[in-house]
Amino acid sequence: MAKGKLKNEPHLFLAQPIKTKQDAITLTWKVKAMGTQVNTITPGRRKAFASTSVYAKSSTGDSVLVIVEPKKQDDYNMFYEGLRERGFEVTFRAPRAETPLLVEDDVPNFSHVIIFASETKSFAKDITPQSLVSLLNQNTNLLIALSTKQTQLTSLASEFSLSPAPPGTPLISYFPAHSESPSVIPIPAPSSNLISTSKAPIWYSGTSFALSNNPLIVPILNAPPHAFASEVDGGSADSLVDATEKGGEGLWAGSSLGLVTGFQTRNGARIVWAGGVEMFSDEFAQKEVAPGKPSGNKQFAQDVAAWAFQESNVLRIDHISHHQVNETEPREQYTTKDQLVYTAHISKYNPQNGKWNPYSDITDLQLSFTMLDPHVRTALPAVGPSSPGDYTVQFRAPDRHGVFKFVVDWKRKGWTYLFSSTTVPVVPPRHDGYPRFLSAAWPYYIGAISTSVAFFLFSTIWLAGEIKERKKGKGKTE
Amino acid sequence: MAPKPTQKAQSPIQSLWKAYNEETSDRLKFIDSFLLFLMLSGIVQFLYCILVTNYPFNAFLSGFSSTVGQFVLTASLRSQVNPDNQAEFKEVSPERAFADFALGSIVLHFFVYNFLG
Repeated sequence: MAKGKLKNEPHLFLAQPIKTKQDAITLTWKVKAMGTQVNTITPGRRKAFASTSVYAKSSTGDSVLVIVEPKKQDDYNMFYEGLRERGFEVTFRAPRAETPLLVEDDVPNFSHVIIFASETKSFAKDITPQSLVSLLNQNTNLLIALSTKQTQLTSLASEFSLSPAPPGTPLISYFPAHSESPSVIPIPAPSSNLISTSKAPIWYSGTSFALSNNPLIVPILNAPPHAFASEVDGGSADSLVDATEKGGEGLWAGSSLGLVTGFQTRNGARIVWAGGVEMFSDEFAQKEVAPGKPSGNKQFAQDVAAWAFQESNVLRIDHISHHQVNETEPREQYTTKDQLVYTAHISKYNPQNGKWNPYSDITDLQLSFTMLDPHVRTALPAVGPSSPGDYTVQFRAPDRHGVFKFVVDWKRKGWTYLFSSTTVPVVPPRHDGYPRFLSAAWPYYIGAISTSVAFFLFSTIWLAGEIKERKKGKGKTE
Repeated sequence: MAPKPTQKAQSPIQSLWKAYNEETSDRLKFIDSFLLFLMLSGIVQFLYCILVTNYPFNAFLSGFSSTVGQFVLTASLRSQVNPDNQAEFKEVSPERAFADFALGSIVLHFFVYNFLG
């Protein structure tokens, strides 16, 4: 009896947690299935199903975890306030605190994670470079600030094709002349579609990265052309002289250095690497770039967060349709050389009201009709104001039968990757589907008909003539 | 002496033609004219195919093969009804030969029109 009890009890005990875990897993499966059902693998969309909260201002959810040293937590209050104003729920965690966990039951607890603990050497057990990468795989967005100190996050940056400058060498610039330390630099606001057009310069202090040519990298803020990475006090002049003697070799300088760099993974999650955490601080936000002229830091920090948290530049393919010209419904299969019409409806996330609005401004969308290779690749232009968000093209199916795919694959820096693939069979014409009575074939028709007519005449004359012949023959023999 | 070789060269053809005209029965001549028509029709179709277009190819194949097939059937009819070959086709009467020819031709034309498109 005692044995039986022992066997039974743990089973009953475990029943509850297993159930919840499975529930969590089935939920993610369901969500994934919904994503693939319409043949659009748009991560933003997948997540949009997962969190249909009205108040969400990000397309992927509104919970933010900020990992920051408790004593520095209050340095960034204006940034948090900006996030809260936009509808995010901000939760704090000390780098070494055990809770709240990043991932529970294989499901991320937060939609976005900010790591401002730029100088912390050791983190709690569940915050490791590996766990951060797995968060990205689960479509959690990250905003990571670094400093000139070497930490394990610095080495993680190199996994994203960023090479941080050597430790202890902040970015330095003496231009434009300013009263502060040369490592605190006002940088003119970049002009890019990621950043709202605020002209005010941005105060920056921190390290810099060399960017590789990885296509997933999205440069957001680059160093000014006259900036370089060096030690602030002592030896900086000497090292510069050394570097210039070597023709600039080993010198981290110039506008190709990245300061704030985004990276959009293939599944659509976004991570932003900021070289200096001070950029987000209240101090820099309030610091004036000129007397009476506030800095652009506050706006810039919010813009960077908006991009990182999939608020801005988020697109999705809502639905696609395909049919033969002069028809409205898709066919189960198409015939070679049919005139096909393909339409994709694309919308853009509007963080103001959390809705998806039709988006017609993509000018370089392409459609491929693919069987291993694209047999047809054509521009997919927007229809225009008459049906916003629709992109449509008419093309002739190739003279080739097989299993084809309509593929829209649009990957642009800073934008959500759009991908849609729809499989359709293309069959040769049925035996009665070919054109008949072609004018070019009339000689052959006449040839066949004349042979038949001649055969008929021949037979008639032969049968008629045979009697004559026989009579002749009879006459001869007689 | 000079015109002699030309006369000699022409004379085999002329004598062949003469012999043909004199010794071939009307029935065989009638068959031969049908064969000639089939041959010309086939040549015209073949030239049209290589010089103008072979599209639709199935129409060419059926048109051309109808002339070729009819030619073969008619040629075998000719050899079977030729009195000179009587020794070879002892058990095949001319009536039987014509019936074979007619049946074969009808089957041939059936296939030709099926394939003509």
